[in-house]
Order: sequence, then C-alpha cells, then structure tokens
Amino acid sequence: MSDLTISIENLSKTYPEPFRRLRTFFGRPVKEPVEALRDVSFDVHTGEIFGLIGRNGAGKTTLTKIVATLVQPTTGSVTVRGHDSVNHDEQVRRDIGLATAEERSFYWRLTAEQNLLFFARLHGLADRFAKQRINDLFAKLELDEVARRRFGELSTGNKQRLAVARAMLASPPVLLLDEPTRSLDPLAAARMRDMIRSLAQQDPPVTILFTSHNLAEVETLCARVAIISRGRIRAIDTPKNLRDLTSGSELVHITVSNGEKVSFTRQHNDNRLDETIRNLQTQGERIIDIETERATLLDVLERYETAADTDRKTDERT
Amino acid sequence: MNALRLLPRRIFAFIARDFRLFVSYRMQFFLRIVSVLAVVTTLFFISKIFAGFTDPQFSQWRDPLATWLTGLAVLNYFMTGFSSLANSIRQEQMQGTLESVLLTPINLPTVIVASSAWDFLETTFFSFLYLFFGRVFFGVQFRGSFLLAFLFLLLTTVVLSCLGILSASFAMVFKRGDPFGIFIGAGSALFSGVFFPTQLLNTYAGSKLGSISLILPTTHGLDGIRQVLIEGHGFAQVTQPLIVLLGFLVVLLPFSLWVFGRAVRRAKREGSLIQY
Repeated sequence: MSDLTISIENLSKTYPEPFRRLRTFFGRPVKEPVEALRDVSFDVHTGEIFGLIGRNGAGKTTLTKIVATLVQPTTGSVTVRGHDSVNHDEQVRRDIGLATAEERSFYWRLTAEQNLLFFARLHGLADRFAKQRINDLFAKLELDEVARRRFGELSTGNKQRLAVARAMLASPPVLLLDEPTRSLDPLAAARMRDMIRSLAQQDPPVTILFTSHNLAEVETLCARVAIISRGRIRAIDTPKNLRDLTSGSELVHITVSNGEKVSFTRQHNDNRLDETIRNLQTQGERIIDIETERATLLDVLERYETAADTDRKTDERT
Repeated sequence: MNALRLLPRRIFAFIARDFRLFVSYRMQFFLRIVSVLAVVTTLFFISKIFAGFTDPQFSQWRDPLATWLTGLAVLNYFMTGFSSLANSIRQEQMQGTLESVLLTPINLPTVIVASSAWDFLETTFFSFLYLFFGRVFFGVQFRGSFLLAFLFLLLTTVVLSCLGILSASFAMVFKRGDPFGIFIGAGSALFSGVFFPTQLLNTYAGSKLGSISLILPTTHGLDGIRQVLIEGHGFAQVTQPLIVLLGFLVVLLPFSLWVFGRAVRRAKREGSLIQY
C-alpha cells in the first residue's frame, strides 16, 4: 500500500472565458473565469479505494477529467504511475479506465457487444483476446443476456454496468468510477460493491478513485475519503477519523424489557456504556436493544460545507 | 512507433463500427443507389438536348454526360476529403461519444483520420456508381490512364483534406459556422466547372469572378482528371494542373497541421473539446 499510483500536486483549474480579448474588442460583456479547482493536492496509493465526495459543482468532475487527461490543468500536475497527465497523456490513458453515468457515451444502434469490441480495438486489443475479455466481463457483470441487444434497448442499470465493463476492458491498473451504482437495484449495487472491493484486493491490485453521492457506500468501500467543496480539498482521512473529527461523541439509546428507554451521550473513549449496562443489570433490568447515533459522513460534509460558505463570505468581504 | 503499428487496427475499428451503423439503416442505402441512378438518367436526357451543338473550343464537353458524370463523381469525393474530417469531430461531439473515444490511448489526429475512413469508402462506392451506371446503361466511354486519373484524385483529396483539417480546427474552437465549408462547399459546384466550362464564367460574369475558379483546388483537380479520362491526355500534357495542386499541398499541409495543433491545445485548455 506504500506505492503511489496517483499523485496530484497543487492542482488548479480555471476555465477561461472563450475569446475574452475578441469580446472586449467588440464591447461584448465578458464573464469572469470560473475557478473549478484551487490548489488541490493528494496521493492515492496502489490498491487503495479513494473516495471523493462533495456537492454538485464542487469540482469532482473537473478533477476526474484532468486525471483522465480530457482537460488540462491551469497549474499544478497529475501523475499516474509516474506519467504526467499532460506530457504523457497517451501513457496515462493506457493506465486508466473511466466509468461515468453518461449514457450518451455509447453508440445506441450498436449492440452491447459491438460497442465494447469497438473500444477494445481502440485500446489495441487483438480481436480474439478482446472477444474473450468481453465475454468474461459480461459474465462478471451479469450482462450475458443483453450482449446482443442494441445499447438503446438496455435498461439504465445495464447501461451503467456496460460503462463499468468498458472501463475494465483493457484491465487498467487504475479505475476512475463516477457513481458506478447510481442506477442499479439494491442487489446489483451490492454485487458491484463486492466486485469493486475484490478489484482492489486482487493481485496486482487495481487503484480506484471513486466518486459517489451515496455516502454510506463511500463509507463502506473507501479506505480514505477526500471532501471537496468549491474547488478545494477540505479534508482527507479515513471515514472513521473524519467522523471522529466532527464529533467525538455518540448518542446511545438502551431499551429495557418493560419498554422504557435510557438515553445518554458518551465519548468514544469513556466507559459510560459499560457502567450504564452494569447498573441496569444490577437493577434487574433485561436489555433488549442498544442503538447508537454517530456522526455520519453527511454530518461531516455538512460541517465542511458550512465552513466553506463562511470562507467564501470572508473572501467576498475582503 | 506503437501508435503507428496499431493505426491499421484502429482504422479498422472505426470502419467496422461505421459499417455496422450504416447497415442498420438499410433503406437509406437502397434509396441512395436509386437516387444516383435517377441523377444519371436525368443527366442523360439533358445531354441529349446538346447533342451535336457543343462549342468545339470546350474540348472536354464534347460528350456532356461523360463530363457531368466525372464532375459529380469527383466532386463527391473531393467534398468528402474536405468535409469528413470536421464532420467526424462534430458527429462524435453531438452524439456524446467523443469523450469515451478520447479516453482510449489514441490521439486526436488518429481519431479524425480513422473516423473519416468509412466516409471515403462509402464515397468511393457511390462515386464509382455514377461512372458505372453511365457506362453500363448509357454507353459513356472513358479513356486514358486510370492510374494517372487516380493520382489526380488522390492529390486533390489530400489538398482538400488540408482544408478539412482547418475546418476541423474551426469546429473544435468555434463549434459551428465554419467559413471553409461555405467557401469550398458552395464555391466548388459553381466555380470548379462541375456543370459547365469555367471559361464561361469569364465570358458572362467577368474576369474577376472567373478568376475565383483558379484559387479552388477542385478546379485543377477536376480539370486534370477530365483531361486524362475524357481527352485521353498523358502525363506530359497534364503537368500544369499537377504543379498547381502540388503548390497548394506545400502551402496548406504545414499550415493546417500548425493550426490544428493550436486548436487542440486551446480546446483542452478551455475544457471544450467535447462540447458542441
């Protein structure tokens, strides 16, 4: 887990207003450039599932597209397995697979199989190997039955699975997964999560940059999570540490046999829970349920969003 | 080096994809064949009006049907050379597939060249149909060296592809409203001598308007091909249009590649490569 697979250093991206000088020359209104990312730095280790969470427009997509070499950074750099995303973009694309929830990225009149064969050929895979790989992926992602159906006839969930299959076609060591379970039913989503987990554990392991709005899923899957807001990384840590940073306490509800509830707040490192249980048992009560309410990633996200809002207001005032 | 080795496989990938998309619209294919036959038949009857009345100074127009058919077939080809590069980018942008194609280890010039390969195959087929229907159903005779005619076809197509690269660069940055398309597309049919001799422009529209035909590569390409296929001229007699076309190539090829490089960098910087 010590090797770096993705290294992002002081990355900033400002989308310039196109033809700014021309617009100024003709006296047309000029919009301010959009700052999508500001001074973003983090590393992702080999075999790590790294989560990226944030609100819509926070900068997740821009960041993913820069890693995928589709957009060039304004300043800073992205290195994937030692290759710079601007100067060695083809090598970087050889090492990554991107799965987005964008349905329009396939050819609707071609079958699922024909679509994947086309992209496999672009990756330079020989036809025999490509067909074998496609069959394996279809089996793995339960797409066998729809292999010969036109893409336009597939359900949203199957389209999503096909996008993941396409990302995995050339067995890349790095996967960028953008909401890979968004349109899947609960069972299919669980299977997808298992597959993602197994990819990170296989030999050689796959490194995964994972973005999702499903915070429970991020918490279950990701070793570390970055919170991005208004183009800046606000925090990076394990989901547990992020939760603990936000609130070191939890609310405990103990239900006893007569239906009464005992509720109290405890710190993670105190022994109040043990003491309360002991006291109840001494009083002859039978405990039938214990519930805890901990800070969730949603609480963490909310906290950082509030902080980001405050920062913005301060910036505006100054 | 690796990209060069994989180029045929990638071109094949695009051809196979486009062929599958093409055959998924069978009716359109059938109707296009019928429309080519209808055009050839119509031109045959129009040509009969001029039978025996052609001005002897227009040596390429003794058999107007042969001249029109060569003009249409070749113009079809030239327009593909010019427009398919920009169209391939535009189409992928509009379908939303450009991003997924560009995520594979393939560079943009390869995408453009490979994705227009099917257009050339398709146009070759339909251009050939004009000549085939003329020969089989209406007895049109073509003579001269087909190899030399092919050389002209190839050279003019490459020259027009340079303009196509400029057009593609324009499509990448400005998305719509390509001035090259308007100039070459509308200009070629009117000023290149597809339907009438270019000399008539000088006579009836004045020398200034007539000289427009001289700055269009299509005029020289078409003239060369007709000199070979209709008048039966050999290499020594067609050096003039050949030199003009080579001149166009020497100027346009480096210029168009330079502009294209700048357009790609700009689109990546602005993040607008996949927008339309």
